[in-house]
Amino acid sequence: MKTIERILKSAPGVDAYRITESATQSYELFFVHKSLETVRATDTVATSVTVYVDHDGKKGDSTFTVYRSMSEADMEKAVAAAVARARLVFNEPYALPEAGEINAELPTNMKDADMQALGAQIADAVFAADTVEGGSINACEIFLYRDTLHVINSNGVDKTQVTHRVMIEAIPTFTDDNQSVELYEDYRFTVFDPKAVTAEIARRMQEVRDRANAVRPQTPLTVNVLLRPQEIQRMIGGLARDLSYGSVYNHGNLHKIGDDLQSGGNGDKLTVTMKAITEGSERSAFFDEDGTALNDTTVLENGIVKSYHGDSRFGQYLGIEKPSGMLRCMKVAPGTLSEEKLKSAPYIECTSLSGLQMDLYADYIGGEIRLAYYYDGEKTVPVTGITMSAKLSEVLAGLNLSENVCVNGAYEGPALIMLPNVAIL
Amino acid sequence: MPFSAYLDGKRKDCADLVAALSPYFAYVSVLGTDVRSTAYTVTRSSSSIRDGEGECGFVVKLHDGGAFYEYSLDDISGDKQALAQKIIEAVRVNDSLKSRAISVKALEDAPMKKDFVRETDFAGFNDADLLAQCSALKDELLGKDEKVLNAFVSLSPWEVSKLFVSRNRELSQYYGWANGFLMVVYRDGKLVRARHGEGSDSMASVIEGLKAHTDDIIELAKHLTTAKPIEPGMYDIITDSSITGLIAHEAFGHGVEMDQFVKDRALAKKFIGEYVASPITNMHDGAGATHSVASYFFDDDGVPAHDTQIIRDGILVAGLSDLGSATQLGTEPTGNGRRESYARKAYSRMTNTFFSAGKDKLEDMIASIKHGYMLFETNNGMEDPKNWQIQCTAEYGIEIVDGKLTDNYVSPVVISGSVPDLLKSISMISDGFKVIGSGHCGKGYKEWVRVADGGPNLKARVKLG
Repeated sequence: MKTIERILKSAPGVDAYRITESATQSYELFFVHKSLETVRATDTVATSVTVYVDHDGKKGDSTFTVYRSMSEADMEKAVAAAVARARLVFNEPYALPEAGEINAELPTNMKDADMQALGAQIADAVFAADTVEGGSINACEIFLYRDTLHVINSNGVDKTQVTHRVMIEAIPTFTDDNQSVELYEDYRFTVFDPKAVTAEIARRMQEVRDRANAVRPQTPLTVNVLLRPQEIQRMIGGLARDLSYGSVYNHGNLHKIGDDLQSGGNGDKLTVTMKAITEGSERSAFFDEDGTALNDTTVLENGIVKSYHGDSRFGQYLGIEKPSGMLRCMKVAPGTLSEEKLKSAPYIECTSLSGLQMDLYADYIGGEIRLAYYYDGEKTVPVTGITMSAKLSEVLAGLNLSENVCVNGAYEGPALIMLPNVAIL
Repeated sequence: MPFSAYLDGKRKDCADLVAALSPYFAYVSVLGTDVRSTAYTVTRSSSSIRDGEGECGFVVKLHDGGAFYEYSLDDISGDKQALAQKIIEAVRVNDSLKSRAISVKALEDAPMKKDFVRETDFAGFNDADLLAQCSALKDELLGKDEKVLNAFVSLSPWEVSKLFVSRNRELSQYYGWANGFLMVVYRDGKLVRARHGEGSDSMASVIEGLKAHTDDIIELAKHLTTAKPIEPGMYDIITDSSITGLIAHEAFGHGVEMDQFVKDRALAKKFIGEYVASPITNMHDGAGATHSVASYFFDDDGVPAHDTQIIRDGILVAGLSDLGSATQLGTEPTGNGRRESYARKAYSRMTNTFFSAGKDKLEDMIASIKHGYMLFETNNGMEDPKNWQIQCTAEYGIEIVDGKLTDNYVSPVVISGSVPDLLKSISMISDGFKVIGSGHCGKGYKEWVRVADGGPNLKARVKLG
């Protein structure tokens, strides 16, 4: 970083610059069934440089990557090329983040751990859940990362964040005489709690056993659908993406400040805040990749669009005095109903979707359900092989949120959301 | 010579590192990558030129009859003995896991030495040319209709150099691909987006392709403003090449990635030699099967490109494998070992995946449908290789009534259901053929690589929602 910064400081034509260095060390274990198939380790650095040139009343910029393999002469050429490219780019002027220093680390208990030993402990915690008769973990990948993000710019930004994080991808499987079924598990954390890991995998082991016993219900039917946090995050995240400064500036947003996303309905109203930090989430950040200081921002209040959020440059274009910066966590205010009340009428509670599909423009929400629990008013049975489909505007108007809340990855909010009267095929 | 001068200068370093690690491992290889990409983008009120999906680094692969070991790093200069010891220490396994390592025969390392080059025309276009082309297309789109709120145009050349060195192999390759993309944001009562993409190893062809479709995406945008949700149900459908490719990729391609066979994660393992599709169906995958974005000369394990026939006359005949999976299964690797980058693991991955052309005429296929839909443009898809369920989303569909396409558009359209039911329902296959090289594919929810897919038009019966 020092070499490229020295070159940038003396290079002709450079009015400003930003350097983002992302260093990653990893240790990775890949299991096939219970056997260790592959062990990987990485030690890599990615350095991205943006050169800014003010010209013709506009601001041009160009971003290039500095590889560790580049010589000083290579870097000088890359800077000169970036200056020439920036002169071809005519964007409205905007200010870079102002000077500020941060040297922070997300809370973790893995900082001083030996990666090989920690990897083995995590593997033990995963496979401790492999106790269901007929069940197995057919594949498991464990990734331990130590990320260091360092951003500097010519205004004096000098910010560093260290993140210790783990990702587990596991495939709980259940096999009997008739079939073999599986579910997909993606579990991430910044604080290692072996009991929590085992409990999470054990929950999925129970669910995959249920998938083996799942039936296809009589369809078509119309029923309330309950979504869990992973799907809630995808659904609300889709609404929030529409409210980014960039979408607004590029005329790509559907909703505007003051719009009521839940008009005509009598369900719970959504209050959504984009946040910098959610405890335990790897997506938590003290600053964004521009080095912008982050401000938590409520984008929806009681179902009504209150503000936009996002990248400082586009925020400035919209005249926002203090843009939020790129916020990657989300908080949804709790609802009014207990879980018992939400489940008092027939429902389908989805535990595994192949991917929630949501299209704001086409007013659509749906997806293929791989495992859900169907309560028909009398009994609850696991179901599979069905598809949900609804008008997004209608389910937004009538949705209900649970009063009990949870934290799941970058999401903090109701543990359940109920979409009314969804078509099941 | 377009092959990376940097990697060319690292041949001896790679060979020296292989030699330094050879006393400790039966198999040692080094893959060096130098991939450069630039993205030129213009919208109504902004523009940019920036590096795209690039990488430059090395991955060392080691095997001694037990687990496979890999170490990814940015540079291999310097003392190779010291680096070898650093690598051995970095991939060390905790004692508690040592007894759990797999046992498998040593990886194949047959002698081969070759340099592969496929030229592009990228050097004939400078930054100013490409940005100007984007600007002209943007202006043209904005000028066509006042209801166009914004237009996005991008061009992106991508150049790949890779060097593979093991005890017995030294391979190098250079190839490139360019993608172009148009999108308009259009409002006529309803706000919609319409898109068009092009891909080729000729930038000139990409630009011409975009120019030829500016009227089309405005027309499409107009139709999409009238699109309604589809009434969920079972329908006869006809796919365009994009949706044909999506079905090939999601319905079956992921299910025959043979690293899933090793993990007992793919139902297809039990169906080799069995009918899995209608008897008129043939399906291929391979970097050597057609010419598109994934047409490399050797894979990230140093295995030459193949053309693998997956389905022959409706019968599942073969899967796709990387070197490690094939070795564990006792089969020949098919050249499908691919990494997201040098920093990621190689898995069995698709390349260019497609159904073969048939003999039917598209107009006859449409005429054969009393009521159904013709589906267009991939939005996304999700595989389920264990349970053979699919979910594929088309951007839009056009209703067919009494054998004719109507002006009734539906959007979006989600195809879901059972893979065998879908593939066995294929009743007509057109004589047209197109493979689209603008996609990215993940494994699960990560490990993104560039892929192509496509084929002819298919007539099938599926669940739409």
